[in-house]
Amino acid sequence: MPRIGVYICHCGENIAGAVNIEAVREYAGTLPGVAVAKDYLFMCSDPGQELIRQDIKDGLVDRVVVAACTPRTHEPIFRKAVEDGGLNKYLFEMANIRDQDSWAHWNEKDGATEKAKRLIASAVAKAGLLEPLQDRFVEVTKSALVIGAGVSGMFAALDLANMGYKVHLVEKEPSVGGNMAKLDKTFPTNDCSACILTPVMVQVGTHPNIELLTYAEVASVEGSIGNFKVDVVKKQTYIDWDKCTGCGDCVNACPAKAPNEFNEGMDNRKAVYIQFPQAVPKKAVLDLDHCINCGKRSIGTQPRTHSVTGEPILAPCEKACKTGACDRSVAYDPAGERVTLQVGTIIAAAGFKAMDKAPFKEYSPQSPNVITSMQLERILSATGPTEGEFKRPSDGKKPATVAFISCVGSRDKSHHSYCSKVCCMYMLKEARLIKEKYPATNVYLFYIDVRTAGKDFEEYYNYCRDLGIKVIRGRAGAVDELAGDRLRVRAYDVDMCAPVELESDLVVLATAIEPAPGLPEMGRKLGINCGGEGFLKELHTKLYPVETSVKGIYVAGCAQGPKDIPESVSQARAASSSAAVPLTLGKVVVEPFSSAVDREKCSGCGICVPLCPYSAISREEVDGKLRARIDEALCAGCGVCAAACPSLAITLHGFTEAQIQAQINALTIGAGGGKVV
Amino acid sequence: MSNAIAEPQVIDLSLGELDLVDEIKELGGEELLECIQCAKCAAVCPMALAGFPFFNKRVIQAILIGSRETLLDDSSIWACQSCNRCTEICPRQVRPFEIILAMRRVAVREFALPTLTTDGLKSLFDVGHAVYLKEAGKSRKKVGLPEKPPSTLAHPQALRELQAIMRKTALAELGIIPMGEAEVAGSCEV
Repeated sequence: MPRIGVYICHCGENIAGAVNIEAVREYAGTLPGVAVAKDYLFMCSDPGQELIRQDIKDGLVDRVVVAACTPRTHEPIFRKAVEDGGLNKYLFEMANIRDQDSWAHWNEKDGATEKAKRLIASAVAKAGLLEPLQDRFVEVTKSALVIGAGVSGMFAALDLANMGYKVHLVEKEPSVGGNMAKLDKTFPTNDCSACILTPVMVQVGTHPNIELLTYAEVASVEGSIGNFKVDVVKKQTYIDWDKCTGCGDCVNACPAKAPNEFNEGMDNRKAVYIQFPQAVPKKAVLDLDHCINCGKRSIGTQPRTHSVTGEPILAPCEKACKTGACDRSVAYDPAGERVTLQVGTIIAAAGFKAMDKAPFKEYSPQSPNVITSMQLERILSATGPTEGEFKRPSDGKKPATVAFISCVGSRDKSHHSYCSKVCCMYMLKEARLIKEKYPATNVYLFYIDVRTAGKDFEEYYNYCRDLGIKVIRGRAGAVDELAGDRLRVRAYDVDMCAPVELESDLVVLATAIEPAPGLPEMGRKLGINCGGEGFLKELHTKLYPVETSVKGIYVAGCAQGPKDIPESVSQARAASSSAAVPLTLGKVVVEPFSSAVDREKCSGCGICVPLCPYSAISREEVDGKLRARIDEALCAGCGVCAAACPSLAITLHGFTEAQIQAQINALTIGAGGGKVV
Repeated sequence: MSNAIAEPQVIDLSLGELDLVDEIKELGGEELLECIQCAKCAAVCPMALAGFPFFNKRVIQAILIGSRETLLDDSSIWACQSCNRCTEICPRQVRPFEIILAMRRVAVREFALPTLTTDGLKSLFDVGHAVYLKEAGKSRKKVGLPEKPPSTLAHPQALRELQAIMRKTALAELGIIPMGEAEVAGSCEV
């Protein structure tokens, strides 16, 4: 007969505020197998843990149930206490009476108390059937994958590479650099973005421990912490990068044009292009969608011969190429190349996208002089379409009046309900850059609130106001097109208590930071949840901000939520040190919750084999009969096989059929017939 | 209810006279641009409590957007009681009271001042008190005080000095009130 100890936590007022602890403790004491039932203000504190350790040492209990907050953060703490008391740490079960009870039923004390009793009865029922289990250890592949080579991904990769680990850095664009490479200057110190970023790009490109995989995307992820198998598709560039020197001769020769993504569509690039002049790696890519196949030179065909000279007729790009990197006779596979990586840990730093202006009909997005902030960054940038000259798109004139509109797509339930966090500061920065360079320009910012919470940010804001930048409190409601390419902004000045309007030459929309396209899909491949807002979810906002629900996978940068460069870099470096821990240890503990096959019961039907998401099950012949075999190192303990087995031959340790049945019984019929909450 | 709500009118920011900011800074409102419209000053302003449409915070915002006419057409700035609480509590050290005074200087330059103010200035020049009740002497006597307070009223030489000072101010150049040499103090009924 097991001797179960039940320890009920008040969690300060968090549980005690909604659950009658005394009643629950008395009830727990009556449950079969319960030897001890105690409560304490904070079970996770040292005195709380000591209650458990002492009862074990005194021989009073040999199974432990803690009814408290959540196993998500506290299960490891109590397992350790159980182990320190001298028991196998898996002889422990937790009842979640805070997250799933007191918090959820805060205003229904009777019901919450009843539910707490049920949850504890359920945990006690399982505890009676617990068996000691042993941790498993798996060897860790000492390399890492970083997804996304923006400023976050690059810093995460560099840190790991500098620690001596092999890093595979995957980037979907042809060059590393991400969104930051498009920015002109960066707040709060106004360093030129290129000046601080391009040296990092060079470091990433030349580091002996970093393997760059640009113009590539993650196709699939298998395995678990220590041993992930990742398939990466290198998209087809139609240029032999081994031979390409980035000289740009093919680009100059190409007559076909396409919208230039790097300049936010404000000018054109060629069909064969180098993403931007400071690209790393500096290699050309052929965009087949916009290629016009000069000289009927489709990819993979042999050149026609000139009827007079007998020379082969080549396309201008290949004619211009001196190294043979551009050769249209090669039968390139449009699907690109698939490479398989073996890594121990993964950092997802897939970045963000700044919203387009099109959805905001009230702001006349059809006007070329209504632009997004990202477009303004390109206009202000020396590498942009105007080479840094402050010109408006419609006629190239220097705007005399500029209006900025904040929160476009942010704090807006039709688009994104969250605050994009960086817009206030980037608007101030852009306004400041304009005002400093052209003091006669009238600059107006239409705001809901100015949010400049960050080190040195308020000082930046004050400086901008001192420059004479006008801050109007009130979200602009409309932008009208007027004759002569003029625009009229209509707003309500809350401080004047009056509607206001402003004629402007240029309107800049501070559009929201949103998840990069394909981020939810990547989250699914990695097994990480995306929150309601579509960003990858961290394990715990405060305590585990770079970990995810999947062990061995970490997040950094705007893939986790909107943030500025200082924060992105901090988070990237936090993620890299967290991701380095398993690599450094060389071994990781895997919970012993793996599945095992009872070969006496197994019929060898094989239903489990294709169901296993981790490819851990195979069939082997035993005494002339096929039987399922589970590779413990691969098994992640998901339980799919155990649930599917028609012969009940598979047991998932820690979640056995008997244990789960006992829990369900206790929750329903076995709890004294009280009302079900 | 304030005038602004009663008469909704669209303010055209494009017509804003943005040099008003510099003018106010020159005339004593140096910290104008420090204002972030937090409204702490308005919370303690007697003008706001009395229902004047342009109290400290809104005077500042009107200046910031260059809405000169709005302020000149409205008499609010002359209603400031000079209590200085706004200046005491402003978390940005804007000194809103000084800005109201600066705005008054702008208004005076354009003769945009109410009759009451002209009367007050005239009284100040004539007797040394902007406000002085004619019957005050009798009341003072009743409670055992000298009929004339120990001010310019009791000291004609002091009044002459005050008038000399006033003649040297911008007020004399503007000619808003007569500043003749005639001895006027004696004519004042006390």
